[in-house]
Amino acid sequence: MAAAEARSDAGRAAPGRLLLIAAALLFLGLFLVLPLLAVFAQALAKGVGAYFIAIADPNAWASVKLTLTVAAIAVPFNLVFGVAAAWAIAKFDFRGKNTLITLIDLPFAVSPVIAGLIFILLFGSHGWFGGYLKVHHIRVVFAVPGIVLATIFVTFPFIARELIPVMQAQGKDDEETALSLGATGWQTFWRVTLPNIRWGLMYGVLLCNARAMGEFGAVSVVSGHIRGLTNTMPLHVEILYNEYNYTAAFAVASLLALLALLTLVGKSFLEWRQPELRHAVAPARDRTRREKT
Amino acid sequence: MSIALRGIGKQFGEFAAVKDIDLDVPTGALIALLGPSGCGKTTLLRIIAGLDAPDEGQVLFDGRDATLWPIRDRNVGFVFQHYALFRHMSVFENVAFGLKVKPRRERPSSADIRRKVQSLLELVQLDWAGDRYPAQLSGGQRQRVALARALAVDPGVLLLDEPFGALDSQVRHELRRWLRRLHDELHFTSIFVTHDQQEAIEVADTIVVLNRGRIEQCGDPGEVYDLPTSAFVHRFLGQVNELPVQLRDGRAYLGPIDISPAADVRTGDSNNIALIRPHEIEIGAEGTGWPATVIAVRVIGPIVRLELSAQGLPANELLEAEISRERYEAERFGIGQTVGLRFRRWQVYPASGAAA
Repeated sequence: MAAAEARSDAGRAAPGRLLLIAAALLFLGLFLVLPLLAVFAQALAKGVGAYFIAIADPNAWASVKLTLTVAAIAVPFNLVFGVAAAWAIAKFDFRGKNTLITLIDLPFAVSPVIAGLIFILLFGSHGWFGGYLKVHHIRVVFAVPGIVLATIFVTFPFIARELIPVMQAQGKDDEETALSLGATGWQTFWRVTLPNIRWGLMYGVLLCNARAMGEFGAVSVVSGHIRGLTNTMPLHVEILYNEYNYTAAFAVASLLALLALLTLVGKSFLEWRQPELRHAVAPARDRTRREKT
Repeated sequence: MSIALRGIGKQFGEFAAVKDIDLDVPTGALIALLGPSGCGKTTLLRIIAGLDAPDEGQVLFDGRDATLWPIRDRNVGFVFQHYALFRHMSVFENVAFGLKVKPRRERPSSADIRRKVQSLLELVQLDWAGDRYPAQLSGGQRQRVALARALAVDPGVLLLDEPFGALDSQVRHELRRWLRRLHDELHFTSIFVTHDQQEAIEVADTIVVLNRGRIEQCGDPGEVYDLPTSAFVHRFLGQVNELPVQLRDGRAYLGPIDISPAADVRTGDSNNIALIRPHEIEIGAEGTGWPATVIAVRVIGPIVRLELSAQGLPANELLEAEISRERYEAERFGIGQTVGLRFRRWQVYPASGAAA
């Protein structure tokens, strides 16, 4: 009797469930898959030959290299900073902690264009440090260092923000246990803390990397748009697009999309390789905070 | 390893977690720090471990000042209430952790590590679980892994923070007895924190009762239970009935029962209360003592608990008495029946101190 009721309950729930799934798939298709397909379709509109000619353009290649270089500097920098900041915030109590949390969020709150302008203000020829830099022949603005700085600024919060809740949920017990067993701080970090946060960390790196490669506004302000020298991929796409060179624009855009897809594939591959870690992270959530007596 | 605390104090902001703690833990002792939540017991344990630094006072390990030693130099094993097992490591790797992080000069060979971990897993009856991950074990099994892991580095002292607090009562009971046996076999010094008086009495050689950051009483379980030095300890270790002591014509009464001349009644002080444990109340036939009505009867295995409304007390202040099952079967006190109460034992405290 009860079982039959339960079954009919499940039956009633089914249309709702189907509706939800259909809605999710529809939106996914409309807003994610369709644009992605459009990029590749437009890029290949004039044939594979035109596509490869567009990609082989030296300026296009220079933009790819620059984008990868910038990401390769910005992501590790924010990785180190993000872990350090999250560690400090989650595991220690100190004066000014809330200020630090707010500061980390600043790049999210500030428009990227403003972020770019900050660096012009600081390092531009009429900026605070402009005179000093000119005397010593150091170029920051309209050069690679400026682009790197702007990218680091914009991607600052991603990893720290991802890690803080993970580390807070896990508490200090594991680290304190490791120390009591004679591990050094360094051993504790590598053998206990890092494995505990690896999935949160990886997700943060992924987001940070995607943004670092895709950032437009801040980079646009400091780059100076010098073809083959200071154009990152998003900037190069815009220039080509503004020149009505749609095939080339979408060809470079498709490369950018491919890079993004590659990071996703990399993440899935790692998850697939180490399935035991996926369930190993979950129990952290049901841990209650230690009673402070 | 023997441990001594000298004048330990620790503040968290305005709140004094512990104050003026002096305590000696001889080598091989099994000590319980017992108290309600917020009494400072965990703070004290963390100070001994080196996880928190005291604001004042000294921690002595074998007579040497260890107050400023970092935790990894103290040679203590610490077991958390929620086990704190490393989730990404197998049970074997968890237990081996303390051996594997040793500097190369002191690190045993991998064959020795394997042998030692295996023997520890046998000791905690988990030798079959070496390849499992913590998520695949039950709470009791996880806590035993945590114990084996702490014992792997041959700690001078084992510190346990509410070690059985997260387990259900059956497993808790089993683990308590097991810990006691283990201690008797291996003779390590251990200090454990608990808010469960039953657990402290069952496991420890010595119970240290803490209240509001201070030591209320320290003694063996029988002493602390039978001869509490304060109303707080009396209340905390088991159930109590509280009755006001009434003074009439220079004599002291509990209801109609004359308890003078009791040495501990300061007849000049009119605000005294008497604490009586449920099993110290004797129930007889009507007319044999303080008249009372039986309100409720509950049979709990070998004992029977009765709630009684004594004549002259407010209706909502019920007395609780416990008698043996055998006695209950013989007498058959029923609800509504009038009986006579007498007290086998009681202890009188000033009411002001009792409020603490």
